[in-house]
Amino acid sequence: MGTYVLKRIMSIIPVFLLATLLTTGMIHLSSVDPAEAYLTAAHIQPTDEILAQKRHEFGLDQPFLLQYVNSIIKICQLDFGISYVSNKPVWDEVTYRIPATIQLALGSIVIAVLVSVPLGFLAGVKKNSLIDHFSRALSFFGASIPSFWLGYILIFFFSVKLDLFPVEGIGTWQHLVLPSVTLALPLIAMYTRLLRASVLENMREPYVLFARTRGIKEKTIMGKHVLRIAISPMITGLGMNLGKLLTGTIIVEAVFSWPGFGRYFIEAIFNRDIPVIQCYVLIAASLFIVSNLIVDLIQMFIDPRISRKEGQQ
Amino acid sequence: MLNRLNSRNTFITAIYILILSTLLLGCTNSSNVDSASKNDNDNMLTIAWQRDVGEMNPHVYNPSQLFAQSMVYEPLVSYQDGGELKPHLAESWDISEDGKVYTFHLRQDVKFSDGTKFNADIVKKNFDTILNNAGLHSWLGFINKIDRTEVIDENTFRLTLTEPYYPTIQELAVVRPVRFLGEAGFPENGDTSKGVVEPVGTGPWILEKHKADEYAIFKRNENYWGKKPKVEKIKVKIIPDVETRVLAFEKGELDLLYGEGVISLDDFKQLESTGDYETSISEPVATRQLVLNTRKKQLSDERVRQALHYSFNKEAMVEGITNGYEEKADHILPENFPYTKDIDVKPIGYDVKKAKSLLDEAGWRLHKGKKVREKDGQPLEIELMYNSAEPIQKVMAETLQSEWAAIGVKLNIVGVDLTDQIQRFKENKFDINFFSNYGAPYDPHTFLNIIASKGFGFNEAISAYPNKDELLKQIAEVPQTTDEKKRQLLYSSILKSVQDQGAIVPVSHIKKTAIYQKDVTNFNFPANRDEHPFTGISIEK
Repeated sequence: MGTYVLKRIMSIIPVFLLATLLTTGMIHLSSVDPAEAYLTAAHIQPTDEILAQKRHEFGLDQPFLLQYVNSIIKICQLDFGISYVSNKPVWDEVTYRIPATIQLALGSIVIAVLVSVPLGFLAGVKKNSLIDHFSRALSFFGASIPSFWLGYILIFFFSVKLDLFPVEGIGTWQHLVLPSVTLALPLIAMYTRLLRASVLENMREPYVLFARTRGIKEKTIMGKHVLRIAISPMITGLGMNLGKLLTGTIIVEAVFSWPGFGRYFIEAIFNRDIPVIQCYVLIAASLFIVSNLIVDLIQMFIDPRISRKEGQQ
Repeated sequence: MLNRLNSRNTFITAIYILILSTLLLGCTNSSNVDSASKNDNDNMLTIAWQRDVGEMNPHVYNPSQLFAQSMVYEPLVSYQDGGELKPHLAESWDISEDGKVYTFHLRQDVKFSDGTKFNADIVKKNFDTILNNAGLHSWLGFINKIDRTEVIDENTFRLTLTEPYYPTIQELAVVRPVRFLGEAGFPENGDTSKGVVEPVGTGPWILEKHKADEYAIFKRNENYWGKKPKVEKIKVKIIPDVETRVLAFEKGELDLLYGEGVISLDDFKQLESTGDYETSISEPVATRQLVLNTRKKQLSDERVRQALHYSFNKEAMVEGITNGYEEKADHILPENFPYTKDIDVKPIGYDVKKAKSLLDEAGWRLHKGKKVREKDGQPLEIELMYNSAEPIQKVMAETLQSEWAAIGVKLNIVGVDLTDQIQRFKENKFDINFFSNYGAPYDPHTFLNIIASKGFGFNEAISAYPNKDELLKQIAEVPQTTDEKKRQLLYSSILKSVQDQGAIVPVSHIKKTAIYQKDVTNFNFPANRDEHPFTGISIEK
C-alpha cells in the first residue's frame, strides 16, 4: 500500500517534466516574444533598446534549453520565479488567488453531489418514471450547453431580471451560487447518468435477489446496499474531474469576475508570462495525479473488493 | 461488520460536514466586508475596468493601469483640448533661447496626500529615480536628452537638455513615468522600479482599499489643491468579461462604463436605444489607418496604392460597421492634435472608375475570363493583417476584401493577436496592416518619430517613396525647432507628403464611448487619452 502510494506520487515527476517542456516549447514556437508582449500590454513603443533590456531581464537571451533547465531547477527548490508582468514572486500571486478557485470548485462539487446523487439514484430505481425523464433532459442539457453561455443566461435571468443574485464578484454566499451552478451543471449531467446506469446494473446483481429473499426491506436494500456499491464509478468520475474542474474554472471565473487562479492564468497566456504558465501547469498536473490517487484510495475504502483484487494481482 | 459500516458512515459524514462548513465559513467571513462597503456610501461612483488597477506606482508600466495612476499622481503640465498645454503642478515655465534649458516655477500650495509639501527637491528625486531606469523609459523622447536636473530654489526646478527638443513640455503631460511620488513612497534605496512603499501622490484621489482582481476604492483627497471632486469615492470593479460588464451595468451594479473597447459598439447601441441611460462619445483620440508596405512589389507603385484608396466607400463602411460612432477620417492624424490642422492633402473620394483606370495605367490588367488583375504573369494578390480580437478591424477587412475584389484585386485577410500583429509589423512581415497612431498627448511628434525609426513597420512601409531620405531628414529636424512657424511648416509638409503618396491610408477616427446611469451628470472626456475622467463628475440624489 505504502509503496503503491509512493509510486503514484513519484509519477508526478515525469508527467510534470513533459507537461512543462511541452508548454514552454509551445510558447517558444509561437512567434510572439514575451518581452514584446510585455511592452504591448504596457502601451510602450517597442524600441529595440527596450526590447533587448526586457529580454535580458526575463532571461530570454539565453538558449531555450538552458532557460528551461534553469527554470526546472528553480522549481525543484520551490522557486517559481518572478512574474514578468507584475514583478512579484509567482508563488505569492498564485497562493493569493487559489483560495477563491478552491471555494468555487468546492461549491460546485457540493452542488453536483447534492443534486446528482438523489437524482441519479431515483432515476435508476424508478426507471422510465417522470423523474427519470427529467434527469435525462437535465443531463442532455447540461452536457451540451457551453459553460460561458450558460453563465450569461443564468446572470440574465437570475440576476438582471429576478434580482436574486449579484452579477459578478466574490464575497457573500449569493455570489457563489451562479458560478458554482454553471460549473456544476456538466458534472451533474455526467454523474446523474453514471449513477443511474450503475444503479440499474447493480439491481440485477444476485446479491439484490438474495437480500430480497431474505425479506430485507426494499428501502434498505436500495439505500444501504445498491447505492453504496453503485456510487463507486461516480467517485472515480469525481476524482478524475478534479483536475478538469480546475481548468473549467478558467471560463467561469472570467464570466463571473471570480478573482481566482484560472482567470489569472488566462491573462498570463495573453501576456506570455512564462513563469506563471509553468506554475499553473505544475499545479494542474499534480492535481490530476493526486486526485486520481485519492479516489483510488477512497474506493478501496468504500468497496473492499477493489483492494482485494489489487492484492490478488 | 456492523461496526465497520458505522465507522465508515461516520467518516463520510464527517467529510461532508467539513466541506460544507469550510465553504460556509469562507462565505460568511467575507460577506461582512462587502455589504459594509456597499451600503454606507451614496456618493460613490462605481465603474468597471477589464484589468486590475495594478500597483499604484507612478514610475512603472505593467500591470498598473493608466487611468488609475492618473487619479493619484499628477504631472507638471497638463494636456487640454486641442493640444493646449496648461500649467498643472508647475505654475509656469521658461524656455531658454536655444531651447535647451527648461525652468519650472512650481505651485506653492500643493501638498501630498500625507501632508508633506510638494517642492523642487521632490521633483528632482522623482526625476533621478526615473533617469536611473532611463533605458526602460527611452521610448519617451525627452528622457534620452536630459543632461541634468537641478533644484534652483524651493519652488524652482531646472531641466537641461543636451539638444533642443520642443516636445519636452508635451511629453511632461504623459501619465507615466514623469509624475510625482511623495517622499514617504520611496523605498530606502530610492529606487522605485521595484515598488513603492505607499502610494502618496498629489492627485485628487487617494487609494483607500485595493483587493487585487476584485476591486479598488479611491477616496477624494480632501486637501486637494485644485478643483475638488464632487463624488466622495470611486469604486473600480474588476470585470474582465465584456458581456458581464454590460449585464452588471444593466442591473444597476455599475454607474458608468467608459473607455475604448470597454463595451462593444453593438451593446452600446442597444443600451442607448432603450433610452434608460445617458451616453457620450469623445473627440477623436486616434486615427485608424491602413499601412501599405511599399516594399511589396504589388504595392510599390503609387498608382496602385491610390487605386486601393479610391475603390472603397469609406464613409459607408465606417458608418455601417461602427453604427456611426466612428467617423470617416481624411487625415492620417486627427485634426484636434497640435500642428495637424489644415494639412492640405489631396482629397480622395469613392471613385471605382478612377481606381480601375489607375490600375490599368500601372500595368495591372484584367485578362478575359480572370477575376484577378495580372502584370508580368503575377497576380495582384495582397494580404491584410488585422487584430483578431477587434471585431471592427475584422469586419472592415472583410468589406475591403469584397470592395477590392470588384476592381480585380485579390485580398487575403489574416487575423492575428495584438502582440503578434505588432511583432509582424515591426519585422516587416506584412503587406497591409491595420494600425493607429498613439493619440494625445503623444502625437504628432511620436507618430513621425516612429515613421523615422528603423525597426518599425511604418519606416519600411514608406520605402518606395522617392523622397524618403528627405522626409526622414525633415522629421529629425522638427523636434529641434525653436520657431513655431517653421515647425508648423515642416509638419504640414511632412504630413502631406506621407499621406499623398498613399502608404498610410486614413480610415476612421477612433473615439471613446461612455454610457452611464441617468443620475450621473457632468461626465466629460479628458483631452489626454490616458487620463481619468472623474474629477468633474457628480451623482444626483
